[in-house]
Amino acid sequence: MAATFFGEVVKAPCRAGTEDEEEEEEEEGRRETPEDREVRQQLARKREVRLLRRQTKTSLEVSLLEKYPCSKFIIAIGNNAVAFLSSFVMNSGVWEEVGCAKLWNEWCRTADTTHLSSTEAFCGFYHLKSNPSVFGSCPRKNMQITILTCRHVTDYKTLESTGSLPSPFLKALKTQNFKDPACCPLLEQPNIVHDLPAAVLSYCQVWKIPAILYLCYTDVMKLDLITVEAFKPILSTRSLKGLVKNIPQSTEILKKLMTTNEIQSNIYT
Amino acid sequence: MASRYDRAITVFSPDGHLFQVEYAQEAVKKGSTAVGIRGTNIVVLGVEKKSVAKLQDERTVRKICALDDHVCMAFAGLTADARVVINRARVECQSHKLTVEDPVTVEYITRFIATLKQKYTQSNGRRPFGISALIVGFDDDGIPRLYQTDPSGTYHAWKANAIGRSAKTVREFLEKNYTEDAIASDNEAIKLAIKALLEVVQSGGKNIELAIRRRNQPLKMFSAKEVELYVTEIEKEKEEAEKKKSKKSV
Repeated sequence: MAATFFGEVVKAPCRAGTEDEEEEEEEEGRRETPEDREVRQQLARKREVRLLRRQTKTSLEVSLLEKYPCSKFIIAIGNNAVAFLSSFVMNSGVWEEVGCAKLWNEWCRTADTTHLSSTEAFCGFYHLKSNPSVFGSCPRKNMQITILTCRHVTDYKTLESTGSLPSPFLKALKTQNFKDPACCPLLEQPNIVHDLPAAVLSYCQVWKIPAILYLCYTDVMKLDLITVEAFKPILSTRSLKGLVKNIPQSTEILKKLMTTNEIQSNIYT
Repeated sequence: MASRYDRAITVFSPDGHLFQVEYAQEAVKKGSTAVGIRGTNIVVLGVEKKSVAKLQDERTVRKICALDDHVCMAFAGLTADARVVINRARVECQSHKLTVEDPVTVEYITRFIATLKQKYTQSNGRRPFGISALIVGFDDDGIPRLYQTDPSGTYHAWKANAIGRSAKTVREFLEKNYTEDAIASDNEAIKLAIKALLEVVQSGGKNIELAIRRRNQPLKMFSAKEVELYVTEIEKEKEEAEKKKSKKSV
């Protein structure tokens, strides 16, 4: 270990070799007791993702996809994208909760894995009562997937400085099979998509499902009116057209959502 | 590239960036919006009040502070950094008055704050101040002034500007709506500030705090009721304008 001029401690590379030390460590690791193994198995069981039917503890034995075939799947990741969907899309028409996905890992605050309430569900599945072909979660034929998510504008790589970017702004990325035009410019190189949206889009590309990802670059990552409204151009696309009826009402609902969610820290004023 | 040159303030990156200063500007964007407008006979400072926790005393959460009898400022960014800068500026104002027997000019105190901020971008072991400030006031010659400083230590005079969250949106609104007519009277200037804030404030008039200074008069902080009166007036004007539009189109 070495300390640099700036006070950080870094591991200094050593060519003399640390083979002896490594071997010793490995041996100790191999001496895993049956107890350790059992604890590990228990943790793995706890961490399983479970799909549950509507607010109950019964699991969906039949895959959701087969039970609720659909043509449109909209997935929102992140609080701004979810706020957009809940206030603009889900408040037009009657949506029924079909199921939810629950999971647990060591970072969750509750220790009890069997009694997680529906508000602690990681993901909720809803389908439109009047038009059950719109829903989320079914990679079958004739299905189109729309993914909404947000990212901080400082992750956007560009020659201009981030101060001059018109944030928030939308960028799109689509799979080969998605033929409709996007309502905003496509994401340019060398920018990449991360985490769950990337996983969904890759899955769709591999299984040849038409999918489009709308990525909103914003400088306010917490729930913010302007960021949520930046998703509005999506309402004019073919995938979401007809799903949203009452925009002014949706804006009111969005404002209410903002006030109930305001948790301010004292560090920034 | 950024990860190798952003740990210390005293290190330039190969393409000339001081990343810590740029990151400090990101910290400013985490603060709520503040807007400053320079009218003909008035200077206006408007801020978005952040919601206070139930048990918190509202009076201690202030974004607009007086530096002297004739100068005041609004800031956006790290609260603690702002407190330190404001204290230093207040001491400097009094020191100047005692030494030179004249109150500071707005430009002088802005330059002092900007120099202080710049020093912290050139010292090892210290980070820049994470605040931007809007400083307003009248000089002895009676001319209204508005200055803005940022974490890098630069300062500029402005006719109207905004800092903090969604500052860009507010600035664009001001660019469109700051006209000679709009600031012709004091009331119009106040309404322009409120209108600019309403563009980005999430829950309307009750989250806006306003302070004005007229020539040769002390700083006046508006009460919530007074702000509401202006907001109601603005909403009425908006409705009337929309009615006229719909009549014309019909």
